[in-house]
Amino acid sequence: MNTAPRKLNLDEWDDRYEQLRRDGLRESGYGGPLRRHVVREKDFRLQQLQFDNSPAALRLWNFLLTENERLHQARANGDKIVGTMKDLGTVPVMVYALPGLRAFYPDGAWWTPCLMECSDKLLQQAEAMGIDASFCPVRAMLPAFENGEHFPKPDLLICSTGAVCDDFSAIAQRLEHLGHSIFWWEIPRRREPGPGESACVLPGNLTAPKIQVDCVRTELQRVGEALGELAGKTLDDDCLAAGIRAANQVRRLLDSLRRTVYAAPAAPLPALEMLVAEMLAIHFCSDREETIAVLDGLLAEVQTRIRQNQFVIRADAVRIFWVNPVADLRAMNLLEELGGRICGSDYMFTHALDLIPENLPPLEALARTALADPMVGPTADRAARIVRECQAGRAEAVVVSRIPGASHCAREGEIIREIVRQNIGIPTIELEIPPVCDAMLPNLGSRLQALVETARARRTK
Amino acid sequence: MDVFLTSPWIPAEWIRAHGLQPRGIWSAENFQRGALPLSAGVCAFAEAAVRFAEVQTDSAVIFSTACDQLRRGFDAAILHGQRRAFLFNLPATWQTAAAGQIFRSELERLGQFLLAIGGRAPTPEMLRQEMQQSSRTRKCLLESAPASSPRGFAEAVARFHWDGAFSPPPPAVPANQIPLALVGGPFLAPHWKLLDEIEAAGGRVVLNATETGERSLSPAFEFATDTNPFDVLVHGYCDNIVDVFQRPNTRLYSWLKPRLASRQVRGIALWHFTGCDLWRAEAQTLRETFGLPVLLLEAGGEPGNAPRELTRLQAFVETLK
Repeated sequence: MNTAPRKLNLDEWDDRYEQLRRDGLRESGYGGPLRRHVVREKDFRLQQLQFDNSPAALRLWNFLLTENERLHQARANGDKIVGTMKDLGTVPVMVYALPGLRAFYPDGAWWTPCLMECSDKLLQQAEAMGIDASFCPVRAMLPAFENGEHFPKPDLLICSTGAVCDDFSAIAQRLEHLGHSIFWWEIPRRREPGPGESACVLPGNLTAPKIQVDCVRTELQRVGEALGELAGKTLDDDCLAAGIRAANQVRRLLDSLRRTVYAAPAAPLPALEMLVAEMLAIHFCSDREETIAVLDGLLAEVQTRIRQNQFVIRADAVRIFWVNPVADLRAMNLLEELGGRICGSDYMFTHALDLIPENLPPLEALARTALADPMVGPTADRAARIVRECQAGRAEAVVVSRIPGASHCAREGEIIREIVRQNIGIPTIELEIPPVCDAMLPNLGSRLQALVETARARRTK
Repeated sequence: MDVFLTSPWIPAEWIRAHGLQPRGIWSAENFQRGALPLSAGVCAFAEAAVRFAEVQTDSAVIFSTACDQLRRGFDAAILHGQRRAFLFNLPATWQTAAAGQIFRSELERLGQFLLAIGGRAPTPEMLRQEMQQSSRTRKCLLESAPASSPRGFAEAVARFHWDGAFSPPPPAVPANQIPLALVGGPFLAPHWKLLDEIEAAGGRVVLNATETGERSLSPAFEFATDTNPFDVLVHGYCDNIVDVFQRPNTRLYSWLKPRLASRQVRGIALWHFTGCDLWRAEAQTLRETFGLPVLLLEAGGEPGNAPRELTRLQAFVETLK
């Protein structure tokens, strides 16, 4: 049965789910009604969100919200679990290149207080463990490690350090003090090659000195050896090359999805589902093959909608480029409620969206990818990409979303906004979004509304 | 030409060997002179460094990657047109060859920068002399540390980081005071009054483990016959950095442990700037590791010490009596 695309609240999804079931919906093992995540997992935030009404979106949400359950199942089936922290996209490619290993980001626990509307008390527990509200919500991972009520305790914990956020690094160090051994690897702050210095091209139109690429490659070699030891199998070039090809399959799909959605005359998929879909790139939500299936489904849905000229957001919505992920998913709904749509994004892991070079030795390719991380290089590099993508996506405004307590947010927003203003002169705004933003909705709404109105007014000039 | 350093882990000897004058930025008279209007989350020290760099016309500023705030502060300084600024990549890890390689290559790169701003190519002998001189001064300062007046010692270390000279700190006046450790980030001249306040409250800082205190004197050089002084310099720093940003930061705890014990420290004042996640996060670990009470003392955008912090400090000392 063909149903026009629209957004549904959780109550409406209950009915929609029943209807889909009657119509013969076939689901994966982790499928089921969204409501069950509220009942079983206490993901109360779902009751405040608006979701896309497609079966493809249902599958996406179920995939996301069953990650911890699937990880526990994988452990029970004999898989080894690798916690990868901070690098957002590189080490998981190595992990999934080995049989019997699964990677996940404990960092992902930063969304738990949002999803559970803080009923989990993780943030309060983090405070009792010495990490208070002056730190990023990623501090939720600290008690999550200790109480074991969320993700399984990893068999190996790997964390990048060096040019990373101070708050994350400090929290990870606190974790190690609490007895969780960490394998640290260095990611140096990327810089431009000096005059006469041997240079390497990185994904994302970036360059770095060869000496930095060599350093990261050496570090990843150490990571690979640790993974090989855990898996009982050497991570050789053939394995790694196959892993890179599979990761690129995910990245190509995401690239198609982003291009199709962001370039469409109106949004065929809501901002919230796009945010979640993009997040799959970093560690495949603990299941690489299923990620491919989920993205395939979303892309097919979007293509169908565009063919049928059906959209979820009106064509006159203001085109917004969004910088940084939101601590409260509700913010993405809010933008659309106020007349905006996403036409481009930088959720801090653009290096996990770019294709990993397949014409280089695999570790070299991964080293270059790791160094292309927007968070390890100069803020001006990140801003330059944002400017390019704003131009490509015909953005009318930029939102820089601040993560409360995140060290990089203290200064980068100002720099990014200044460079955007200098280069393309579109309005920008910076918003801080806490894990549950209800109390700030009037303020956030007013600020977003002002941005949307300002951008809309510029159309008539 | 003056070359201002934002971290004691950037080798001043290397700059001096290039014929330029290294200066600890925290000792500069016009560093954080007035109140700084700070955006949310911005560290006052990093902001002061950015503002200081932006107005330098005949000197250079070397930022470090020791923290996110300074790293991105460099981005801001560059954006606003400062060309005589350099970002020194201090590796966070220290147990691998790669970390040493990063440090070495950064020193080489810094050398190129120093030449470009008017420095001269150093000879091995010049470098060796500078290293031997600074070694002697560090040794004198370290030997004097346990028995020095806290304020006098802070001034003597600042003098060393300003011009490399040794000015003997006056001895502490013995009194029945509570021995405290001051641990944390940069402790600037406008904050030194805090040391007097601690004494007035009945305590005494017997271990100044701030970034500008005794801890900053840990680089040490081991010369052997025919060793290249550059190699000695790399190892002398790289193998002896004692700081919170290192991963793991066990060297900081290993360094603190014997000193806290031998000086019979009864409480730790954890000194940090607003927005400094790296130090704030250590409070609980310090408590758990050493079993000592820890008081967080916060420096904001105002030069000097906030009255609230002084009151907290007085109460802290009182509870230890």
